[in-house]
Amino acid sequence: MNIIVFVKQVADTEARILIKSDQKALEIENKYNLNFFDEFAVEEAIRIKEKLKDGQVTVCTYGPKRALEALRTAIAMGADRAVLLDNTGLEADDPLIVARILAAFASQDGFDLILCGRQAIDDENANVGPMAAEFLGIPHVSAVVNLEVVDGQGVKVESEVEGGKQIIEVTLPALLSAQKGLNTPRVPLITGVMKAMKAAIPTVDPTSLGIPKEEIGPDASKVVTLSYEPPQQRPPVKIIEGQTPAEKVRNLIKVLKEESKVL
Amino acid sequence: MPNDILVIVEYKDGGVRKVSLELLSRAKEMTSESSSTLYAGIIGYDVKGIVETVQAFADKVISVDSAVLKDYRWDTYVSAAEQLVRKFNPSMIFGGSTVTGKDLFPRLAARLKTAIISDAVGIEWDNGGPRIRKPLYGGKIISWLTCKEGVVPVITFRPNSFAITNRSLNGEVIEESLEIVPDSRFSTLNIERGGMQKVDLQESDFIICGGRGMKGPENFQILEEIADIMKGRVAASRAVVDSKWRDYDDQVGKSGKTVSPKVYVGCGVSGALHHTMGMDTSKVIVAVNSDPNAPIFSYADYGVVGDLFEILPVLRDELIKAKKEI
Ligand SMILES: Cc1cc2nc3c(=O)[nH]c(=O)nc-3n(C[C@H](O)[C@H](O)[C@H](O)COP(=O)(O)OP(=O)(O)OC[C@H]3O[C@@H](n4cnc5c(N)ncnc54)[C@H](O)[C@@H]3O)c2cc1C
Ligand SMILES: Nc1ncnc2c1ncn2[C@@H]1O[C@H](COP(=O)(O)O)[C@@H](O)[C@H]1O
Repeated sequence: MNIIVFVKQVADTEARILIKSDQKALEIENKYNLNFFDEFAVEEAIRIKEKLKDGQVTVCTYGPKRALEALRTAIAMGADRAVLLDNTGLEADDPLIVARILAAFASQDGFDLILCGRQAIDDENANVGPMAAEFLGIPHVSAVVNLEVVDGQGVKVESEVEGGKQIIEVTLPALLSAQKGLNTPRVPLITGVMKAMKAAIPTVDPTSLGIPKEEIGPDASKVVTLSYEPPQQRPPVKIIEGQTPAEKVRNLIKVLKEESKVL
Repeated sequence: MPNDILVIVEYKDGGVRKVSLELLSRAKEMTSESSSTLYAGIIGYDVKGIVETVQAFADKVISVDSAVLKDYRWDTYVSAAEQLVRKFNPSMIFGGSTVTGKDLFPRLAARLKTAIISDAVGIEWDNGGPRIRKPLYGGKIISWLTCKEGVVPVITFRPNSFAITNRSLNGEVIEESLEIVPDSRFSTLNIERGGMQKVDLQESDFIICGGRGMKGPENFQILEEIADIMKGRVAASRAVVDSKWRDYDDQVGKSGKTVSPKVYVGCGVSGALHHTMGMDTSKVIVAVNSDPNAPIFSYADYGVVGDLFEILPVLRDELIKAKKEI
């Protein structure tokens, strides 16, 4: 079985993010990781391969050169092959464009199954998976928490729905997005890390995938960012005074009623 | 060109979801400002009751009522929504950034080959086009976005982004019968909904969240009682979920849910960045923690320093009293 995993390199939660003085661009501290939810996707792909004792796991990202690090993390975990779709000089963020490029790569490379993360923790979109599936004309299932391959033709998955879970059977090829709970991602072994350090990762120019350059170029997005701003600062905390717990609670109720009027 | 808006309505257990009423309310303000029409799209089976509720909020209520739409599936719902967009030509499509919304709307946008802006928290007119507010990086940055001229975007909003205003309209009902063919490549074998949740966590106005300081699963009972009094929900930190005291469904934070209730009360939650990213847009934040230096106090509006096991029983009793007085 050929499995492609879409992974994204995202800024670490702790990374400092500054707004440039024209308010049109961001400066992100150089601290990046493989997206939290994508680790479940990579892990699941490797588990499927190990179980079927057959197949290939390819991880792929549409990103800048620094995203090679995220691909190396996936190789260290056990992915066979990685590809960087270099976004230098192209639109980087618009999900419509990102999904189209990833779909074009997948369709050229060939696959039985695509796995991706439920959402990227930087934009919190949860868009790219279902959109890529639509471009490929294949079914998708979002927020998968359990997966079972049925005789190589299909998969049976459990996924999150509003207020519960559902079990779905899908024929392949299909795209699944991984939710927390699907598995526990492995910590790479030293041998894996060594292998990843040495791995030659090919770079593909997205304009070679049959999409006209002007449709993925820097001005191609239908969305325009007007500006960035910092979130509103909260006023400093008011510590509720009181000699006893009961007095503190009564004072709290009082401010909730009178000051913030939420009771 | 008219600035008509189409809101795709979500409902649950026979009632319209709060997030949809919020979107209809905001969309109505916007279409009134621009003298255009607000369409509400209701997709499903046996949705008469929903249509009636929504009539009060929209100029035109389009009902696509068919047995094939009984349970949500992206294939049939995308097909219905796509046909509505093509027929009614709105200038924007609004939906909720909910579990269902996150499955449906990206696929719809890709089908329409149009822009999607998801997880937005605000929108206004600006020079004839929309100006959309969307947090990034867990709320560390706020971005303002718009679309190029002529683009018909799909925009999804977080629950609790807008106030609900019932305008007692009497929207015209348009019944559409559409051709919808389910995708035969997948089938749902089973749907299990965990015992009728009171309110959806993301839609809840009041959230009381327990952290590791709660010491054990049995102690969440008092949080349940307080949530019941306030008609809200209990949430949990990741430390609690990882210890299996509560389900993942309850987790607030970076790797859980993003919530913005009117009131969030953190009890024995330290306030790690991964947690606060999921709740710092709450309107009022209250923290109960025995450690006066706990980081959560730098996010809170009100802090109670003390042992939660002493504070919570009194809080429960005082809230019962406060509710009686109203
Ligand atoms: C990639 C990643 C993603 C993450 N995602 C999330 C997420 O989505 N959500 C999340 O919550 N966390 C998340 N975390 C974990 C997060 O960093 C913290 O570890 C976690 O939030 C801590 O949970 P806590 O506040 O319950 O526990 P602790 O940090 O242990 O805090 C317990 C608090 O209880 C107080 N306390 C103890 N006893 C009492 C008492 N009797 N009365 C009053 N107060 C008391 C203590 O003073 C302390 O402040 C994530 C971490 C990583 C690395
Ligand atoms: N630039 C990208 N390259 C590869 N995969 C991506 C990219 N952006 C998003 N994805 C995948 O799509 C998922 C959802 O991302 P998003 O729609 O940005 O929330 C991520 O978890 C990744 O698996």
